Amino acid sequence: MTSIAYRKMARQRLGWLITGVTLLLLSILIDLSTGPALLNIYDVFSTFFSPEKMSDPMVYVIVHNIRLPMTMMAIVVGASLGAAGALMQTILGNPLASPYTLGFSAAAGFGAAVTILFGLELPYFPELSVPFFAFIAASTACALVYGVAQLKGVTAEVMVLSGIATLFLFQSLQSLAQYMASPEVLQEIVFWLFGSMLKANWFSVSVGSSIFLFSVLVLTKDCWKLTALRLGDDRALSLGVNVQRLRLKVFAVVSLLTAGAVAFVGTIGFIGLVAPHIARMLVGEDHRLLLPFSSITGAVLMVAASIISKVISPGSIVPIGIVTAVVGVPFLFGLILTNKRGG
Amino acid sequence: MSYRLFNGLVAIAISSIFFAVPAQAYGKTITVTDTLNRKIELPAKPERILLGFYFEDFYAIGGSNAFDKVVAISKSTWHDWRLSQWNTYIKVNPEIAKLIDVGEVDSGTFSIEKAIASKPDVAILAAWQYNALGDVVTKLEAAGIPVVVADYNAQTVEKHVISTLMIGKILGTEQRAKKLADEYAAAVEDVMRRVMHLGGDKPRVYVELGNKGADEYGNSYREGMWGGVIGLAGGNNIAVGQAGQWSPLNPEYVLTSDPEVIFIAGSYWESRDKAVLMGFGVEPETTQSRLSTFLGRPGWSNLSAVKSQQVHALYHGGARTLYDYAFLQYIGKALYPEAFADIDPEETHRRFYETYLPVSAEGVFMTRLKSSP
Repeated sequence: MTSIAYRKMARQRLGWLITGVTLLLLSILIDLSTGPALLNIYDVFSTFFSPEKMSDPMVYVIVHNIRLPMTMMAIVVGASLGAAGALMQTILGNPLASPYTLGFSAAAGFGAAVTILFGLELPYFPELSVPFFAFIAASTACALVYGVAQLKGVTAEVMVLSGIATLFLFQSLQSLAQYMASPEVLQEIVFWLFGSMLKANWFSVSVGSSIFLFSVLVLTKDCWKLTALRLGDDRALSLGVNVQRLRLKVFAVVSLLTAGAVAFVGTIGFIGLVAPHIARMLVGEDHRLLLPFSSITGAVLMVAASIISKVISPGSIVPIGIVTAVVGVPFLFGLILTNKRGG
Repeated sequence: MSYRLFNGLVAIAISSIFFAVPAQAYGKTITVTDTLNRKIELPAKPERILLGFYFEDFYAIGGSNAFDKVVAISKSTWHDWRLSQWNTYIKVNPEIAKLIDVGEVDSGTFSIEKAIASKPDVAILAAWQYNALGDVVTKLEAAGIPVVVADYNAQTVEKHVISTLMIGKILGTEQRAKKLADEYAAAVEDVMRRVMHLGGDKPRVYVELGNKGADEYGNSYREGMWGGVIGLAGGNNIAVGQAGQWSPLNPEYVLTSDPEVIFIAGSYWESRDKAVLMGFGVEPETTQSRLSTFLGRPGWSNLSAVKSQQVHALYHGGARTLYDYAFLQYIGKALYPEAFADIDPEETHRRFYETYLPVSAEGVFMTRLKSSP
């Protein structure tokens, strides 16, 4: 590649990154301004910049206590799932991989279902019971796959196989919990599994974003190694990458990201699969760009889904897990059809 | 049990399998019309009844001995769904706990074999059970067990009346059933008459199931369940027109709708530290303290309902029963205190239990949140 062509490509990719950030900011603005209270944008802004001048305290409560946590959570969840999906596709060398492939979120769902079914409650912090047990279950699923991989060799094949087995195991257990539940409880479980932003609050936002930032810090140094891994295990090895160690490390980060994202708001599908694909089509394989862009794409998709879930039926909030695929699929189809590289 | 007696019973059981003939083939029969408008023929005095649901209503219609004729029930719809109610009835009639459990239809544990083996003369099922069973009903009928369908879940006076008269005919307590049905129809009509002529805007009402506590918004009801009752009582239910029959509303929507009256449905949910607990054996203080936590939700202190202390709790198990008009009256009175000045809904509820049921209504079934001290 000539240096001119490289510079052109770099400029183009930077352009996409800027476009992505702009889109994200725009969707955040729209999301914050959308809701049954029909507040105008000026009022929404006033709550941030001049709250003391607000005549109606309700406006402040609506923007800061109800809308803002949901928007923030959408960003955190979208970014976490987007990054987790990209990492998963890289370490498994499989374009169909997502945080769901290895059963983490099915496990989280099982943890939540059991908590709701038996009314388990943590001492002192009962409101954290469901997220806590969802997180525990997801970590258990992670440990299971991790253990098998340790014993049998850390190859993509072993991880995908043991992961899919874990997925089916926890899906069955989840179904069993639903089967045992009475209708009222069943409804609660199903609602959790749908994934809903209604459960967002400042605590979940801070936990989710801490996990995300921690993951970013942990993986910053590994970006080029991940890019190398995309060339195949052998080539990465020849470039001096400890493939096994990298795979295990990334795997642990992915499980943390996924558990952090779904433990609070329920299983939200599709983002982790589609965001990395969109990102890869636009900015390519360089993980220094791919990972941030995948996060941004995930966040944009989640916030867009949040807007749509509020617009469909203003008074209720259609569970966001239902909306994500509906938003993401047309977008993905559009990209597949217009992509010159042919997929 | 002696061996001879046991052997005899086995012999009878075995022979009856071979010689089973529909009961109506010998002896007198009656014909009842069920809520699906089907005419069903069954033995004139059924002594063995399979009861799928509506245990309290069955008790009310049949009187204190009603359960002597019941041989099998779907236990979890009572024991699991309304535990405090179950415990209360078990105290006065421990035999109920020993009845054959045919399993639960919705969760798929219903056992057609147990149902047939309990040899009922008639099976009384709720409409939702009948629908969920589908083809299985045909098998019951093929085994010579007439199936009749009651439906109090429909929340219509018509189906309440048909169900009540039908069960009365089956139990041979037609007069009592007629009285119950008439009282029900009259009470509902009375409420509607009281709210019909009231002018002005209907008060805005928000109803929520309090099983999750104040931290998370629980389900609200559009037309079904409490939604329907609020409509009847002349309330303007803010959930009407929203997606999802039974789903939470957007907290922001609740705030902007500014409800004038709020109802939280409580029940006896085990091991839930935050749910609004109500029902048999619950202390009023418990319900009050759980209910008061809802006022701490963001923005709720500004709601009209909270400012005017119009936050109430209703016993979730009371909806869709033969005495649900007590709750209808309560909601009516909360919305239009003057139009219901002469009505005491709690007394209506208490009296219904005293008159028709073997247990007394001790606990919290409908209450208003007292102002904090």
